[in-house]
This record gives sequence, C-alpha cells and structure tokens, in this order.
Amino acid sequence: MEKTNDGRRNFLIGAAAGGAVVAGAALVREATQEPAAGQTVADGAHDEHGMAHDAELGAFFNAADAATVAAMAERIMPGAPNMPGATDANVLNYIDLALAGAYADRQDFYRRGVGQLDAFSQERFSARFVALDDAQQDEILLALEDGSATGFDYPGPQDFFAMLRTHTMEGMFADPVYGGNKGFAGWRLVGFPGAHPAFSPADLASSEAFAGDSVIGLKTTAPARRG
Amino acid sequence: MATQQTDVVIVGAGAAGGILAAELSKAGMRVIALERGPRHATPDFAPQDELRYFQRQDLRPDVKRQPVTWRVNTDTVATPVNSLSYGNQAGGGTVHYGAVSWRFHDDDFRVRSQTIERYGEAAIPENSSLIDWPVSYDELEPYYDKAEYEIGVSGQAGNLQGQIIEGGNPFEAPRQRDYPLPALNLDQSGVNFDRLAREHGYHPFPTPRAILSQPYNGRPACSYCGFCQGFGCHIGAKSSILVTKLPEADATGNFTLITGAMVHHVDTDNTGRATGVSYYGPDGSENNIEADIVIVAPFIYDATRLLLLSRTPQFPNGLANSSGHLGKHLMTHIRARTMLGYDDRHVNIYMGPSAQKHTVDDFNADNFDHSGLDFIRGAQISVGPLALEGGPIGASNMPTPPGMRRWGAEFRDHFAKYYTRHMAIAAQLDDLPYAHQTIDLDPDVTDAWGLPAPRLTYDWRRPNELARTNYVIERIEEMARASGAAQVLTTRNNTGAPAGHHQGGARMGANPAESVVNKYGQTWDIPNLFVIGPANFPSMGGFNPTLTIQALAFMTADAIANRYRNNPGPLV
Repeated sequence: MEKTNDGRRNFLIGAAAGGAVVAGAALVREATQEPAAGQTVADGAHDEHGMAHDAELGAFFNAADAATVAAMAERIMPGAPNMPGATDANVLNYIDLALAGAYADRQDFYRRGVGQLDAFSQERFSARFVALDDAQQDEILLALEDGSATGFDYPGPQDFFAMLRTHTMEGMFADPVYGGNKGFAGWRLVGFPGAHPAFSPADLASSEAFAGDSVIGLKTTAPARRG
Repeated sequence: MATQQTDVVIVGAGAAGGILAAELSKAGMRVIALERGPRHATPDFAPQDELRYFQRQDLRPDVKRQPVTWRVNTDTVATPVNSLSYGNQAGGGTVHYGAVSWRFHDDDFRVRSQTIERYGEAAIPENSSLIDWPVSYDELEPYYDKAEYEIGVSGQAGNLQGQIIEGGNPFEAPRQRDYPLPALNLDQSGVNFDRLAREHGYHPFPTPRAILSQPYNGRPACSYCGFCQGFGCHIGAKSSILVTKLPEADATGNFTLITGAMVHHVDTDNTGRATGVSYYGPDGSENNIEADIVIVAPFIYDATRLLLLSRTPQFPNGLANSSGHLGKHLMTHIRARTMLGYDDRHVNIYMGPSAQKHTVDDFNADNFDHSGLDFIRGAQISVGPLALEGGPIGASNMPTPPGMRRWGAEFRDHFAKYYTRHMAIAAQLDDLPYAHQTIDLDPDVTDAWGLPAPRLTYDWRRPNELARTNYVIERIEEMARASGAAQVLTTRNNTGAPAGHHQGGARMGANPAESVVNKYGQTWDIPNLFVIGPANFPSMGGFNPTLTIQALAFMTADAIANRYRNNPGPLV
C-alpha cells in the first residue's frame, strides 16, 4: 500500500501561500520536494518527520491558521543563512501534530488565539498577520508579549504568546520523531549532539566544541535498542 | 470489594516506602505496598527524550488528573500549579531525581538551639515555628551509612571520624567511613566552578550522588549521558529505589506491590486503632487492605491529604491530628541562579550527571558567621545547567542581557552561541518553617478520583528569607563577575511560589504538643499508624532531602522490626 505526501504537501503549500511574505519560501521548498519516481514516502527522504509523512492533511490546523502559526513561529525563531529557524525545522508540523495528540486539550486555545491575533492585526494594520512585513509582525508579537494587545479575552495575549514561544522551542529542539527539528535543524543551530548514550572522560575534559560522531536521535538509536 | 490481609501495608513505594518494604519483608513480615503509578523497568528508559521526560514530565504526576493548587495567601483563590516535581511510579521520585545525596549537617538537626546559642533567641524570626529535630546527627549516622552503602552513593568524604579530608566538604559532619564509591568525574562546569570558588577562598567539592561511579552490586557505572534529572536511568546506574530496594523486597517472597492503586482512606476501628486502608484500583474498583501496621509514605501532599480525608469523630480535624499541626509548616527550597556565558570556551553542559554538579558549602547552614546579618541559615551553592537538566528545550528559557527580547533573531543568536558555552551557578536556599504555610483540602478543585485536591498556601517572600536570598545572590554574582564570562545574568523567583523539595505537613518533634509524629514517624495518637517521608521534616536546610528521608526510613524499619513487632506500642 503506497502513499504519497500529496495531501500533506497541499496543506503545507496552502500554509505557505497564506504566509507568502514570511513563511513562504522554505515551506514551499520543503513541501514541493517530489519523491523520486516509484519511491514511497515511507522509505523516502522524510524519515525525520516521524508521523508527518503519513498524514494526508494537516492533522489539526486549517490552511489559514497554519499559515498564521507558521509565521508567528518564524518570527520567534527566524531563520538566516546557516542559522536554521522555525520554518527550516518544520515547527508548524510539530505544533500541528501535538494539537492533534498530546495537546488536544489546547485546540480551542489555539483556535481562539489565532482568531484574536488576526482581529488585532486587522485593527492595527488593516491586514491579517501573515500579510504583514517582518517589522509589523514583530510589533504585533511585542504587543502580545507585553499584554498591550487589545481585543483578547481567552486566551489572554500574554498567555497566547507564551504558549507559542514554548511550543516553538519544543518544535525546534524536541527529537524529530515529534515532527519538528527537521534534519536536526534545531540541534545543529545550538550545537547539541542529541541523545548520546555515553560521553568519555576525554569528552568531559574538553573545553572545545564536542567533536563526536554525528547527531543522534531516537530513530538513530532505536534499531540498536530493539535488537 | 476485594479485601486482603497483611502484617504491614505501605502507601507509596518511593524513597521511604521502598526501603520500609524491603527491610520489613526481609525481617519476615508480610508487606503489601500500594503505588498510584506504574512499575517501570530499566529498558523503558532507553529513549533519552527531553520532550517526553523533562518538558512533558512523563515520570511525574499528571497535573490534570492529580492537581495540586497554590495560593499566595488566604485572601486569594488557589489555582492549579502547572508542574509537580515528585514521582508517580514505583520507586517514586528516586526514579527521575538528580540523585543528589546529602547527609544533613550536625546543626541542621538543631537549628533552633544552635541559633539561640550563637546569636540569641531574637535572631529567630518572631513568627517562625522553628523547633529542633527529635533525632540528632549522631543517632542518624549509622543509618546514613547504611543508606549510602545499600543503595550506592558516590562521593568524596570531607570529614572522616573528625579528620578533615582535602577535596571533600570541610563542613560535613563526621562520618564513620568513606563513601562506598569515589566521586563521579567532573565536567567542564565543575572544572570552571572549582577554580572560581578556590580563587574566592571557598571549598568546592564534588556533589555526592546516588549514581555509580564504578560497577556496584551488579549494576554498571554511569556513562555520563546527562539524562538524569527528569529521566529514568537507561542503564540502571542511578541508584533508584526501583533498581535497589524493590528487587530486594521481591526476593523475600513476603512482598506484594499493587500498582495503579489510589489510596483514599486510612481505616480505623472504634478504639482509634488503624485497621488498614481503602483504595481505588486502576479500574475504579473499591478495595481494602487489612493490616496490623499502616505506613503512610507518599509525598507530603498525599500524606497530609490522606489523614485529612480520614478524619473521625475522635479526630475531627484529621486522623492523628490531636496536636493541630497536621498540614502546617510547609517549606520549600527557594532558588536563584546566575548564568555565566563564556566567549572563550565551551562548557557542553549537557554532558554528565545533571543538576548541582559541583558544590560549595561555605554559605550553607551555620557554616558562616551570621553576626551583623539580618537573617539566619543559608544555601547550597552549586553549578549546573539552567534548568536542572542540560538539554536545549530546558535551556531555551535562557535569560538575556538587558534590552534583548527572549525571541527573534537576537535571541536566536544569543542562544545559539551560549547553549554550549554556558553554565549556571545556583543557590538552593533554606526556608524556615511557619505555621501559616499550609497544606489543606481545596474546596473547589477535585482530582480524577473526585477527591479534593491538596491546596498549598505559601509565600517565601518573608524578611528572613528575602535577606538571605539577596545575600547569597551577591556572593554568587561576585564569583560570576570575576570569572571572565561575557554574560552574567541572574534569575530569581519573584512570585513567592513554592519551588523544589517541599517538606513539612506532618512534622516530627519531641512531644505530642508540638508535632504529629515522633522521630520514628509513628503518630503520637495512633501507635500502629506511621507517616514517613519529607512530611516529617521540622526544618529543611539547604541540602536535598532524599538521603535523609532514606536514613530515617532505615531507622524506622529497624525500630519496627526489632522493637515494635515484639512489643507493639509507642516507640518513644
């Protein structure tokens, strides 16, 4: 039974199109990578996405909300050359899967939070958040963070911002099996070598950057663990 | 309803309950332990997953199913706290703890009399309910020794039979013999901190840990993977109760562990004697254990709540609470930390046993002269990661220089630069007992079993504690500023919220007027009912509590097996 990632790709393209100004390029780049002819996604290049590559659609967000969340995450951890950001790490995918699973009780928190964010954005700049430029988006997020944003009831602006920041960090730095930290982008950003089962006395004695083997994730160690 | 009969029933198979289970079953008593959580095995901990174990707290209570609420004072409404630090499985908190294993100082057991002798009674804050412990260091020393050797603790002795040993803690109370295992290897944060502390004339030493530095009792040595605090050990090198005492209990044939068991009532007869406990099974069924001895040994919230829920006409304010002290004198470790970010070296803080890697004890207890200072007692000062474990999710709350937001390109660059180049010097501060810092039953919030949630009323921001915190932060910042670190960033808790290592609620004392239990954890009111664990602590000190909990459990097990069993009745 072969599946392709068409549905997932369309979801991500939709998110990218909605957030064309900011979140667009990397998402489109990721989403439009075609599997080689005859190659199934399951044994394709997307192993680090964990559950993601099996999804026919985004697991929780509609396309518009996905674009907004992707844009927020990218402003919280923006990408730059050699500095992977939220889009590069596929933070949107992490949050989307989490809201369909472990964080299902926060679905309405996000739904309402995004709606309030866009309403505030419309009031301030007469446009949805995804249509704003970087400086305008930052101004909106600052108003959330300092609590001055208007029109929020539940969640409050500071609670919504804090949750987005926390989940962005989780999507950057949690193991790729959860759908973010794509290709260990987050770990490479900060120099974390992953789930090494042991460090040697020489490793502990060194005040240089760790020069050990490649980054180790749960899937790297899983075959050894399970014999 | 299923009913079983046994000699001893123990509520909670953690740091204290697991030791009692092993020692009493080895003594030939039939023991049933009831544990709310599951029983894991070491292979369960192979996935070293920061999201699951640290961030989502897989080994700690689910705050939605098992809420605990907190209010800053009685004028406010308590709301559920969003994380709980105690364990929720067989082995309790020892499964996921950082395994820091201190003996308390000699004067930690007599803070009140030590303070009066040295500074006069006026030095004790007027409204503090401070009392001396009913047990001395010397009396507990053989049980500290037993705990260190039976579970396996690695450390560097500082005071061997009165002789001060270079490289250990010179403020340590005298020990009769060395640790069973040498100290664990230092990582770079330990190396940096050791040098810095010596330059300031302090006495740094490796933090003692219940983690094996060498193979011991069939278990392997630590591999320095760094996944300790919040995690189960993937090779069984952490000396948790799960891999030490529970297998001993299993081997006796006298021990039964029942998991998924939520104890909701201590049963008594009309003479006031405890007859057993009632619990909900994993399927919600009502069950009952009848026992000659009832030992209540969960974390302090559940220990207190269980007695409050088990009130009778004879004890209308909570079982065994004729003193009125049940639920009072809540204490928690106050925390402050300063991040050091280096431009000229890597620290790689994710390597090696996590929190509190290397310590100075110069500002703890009464190890320094408080004359002229406006507070008593002190703090353990140690080095480690920002967030108790060293992974990047925990560190992503890294403090920033003034004017830098904690998000955006500037933060990204700050975090990317300093994640592998940071360490944090942390203070773990003593907290004095006060009668108005309490645990009671929340009138509005219930748990998944329909029982009222434990409610904490607590605010550490009292004059003595604020003055002590400010003083200790100054000492840490002096060191940090002299370190050559490019970033020196201090974080403090300003909300008054309870932090780590909660203690109190069923304190021990010298007499029934000032305490709920005697030094054996035996309730003054009901001789066959014991409450064991950090709930018993009448004062806390700056050190982590677990080894003292374990030493007390060994002492109580000794008293029950060798005295109470032959002659049931008050042990004091």
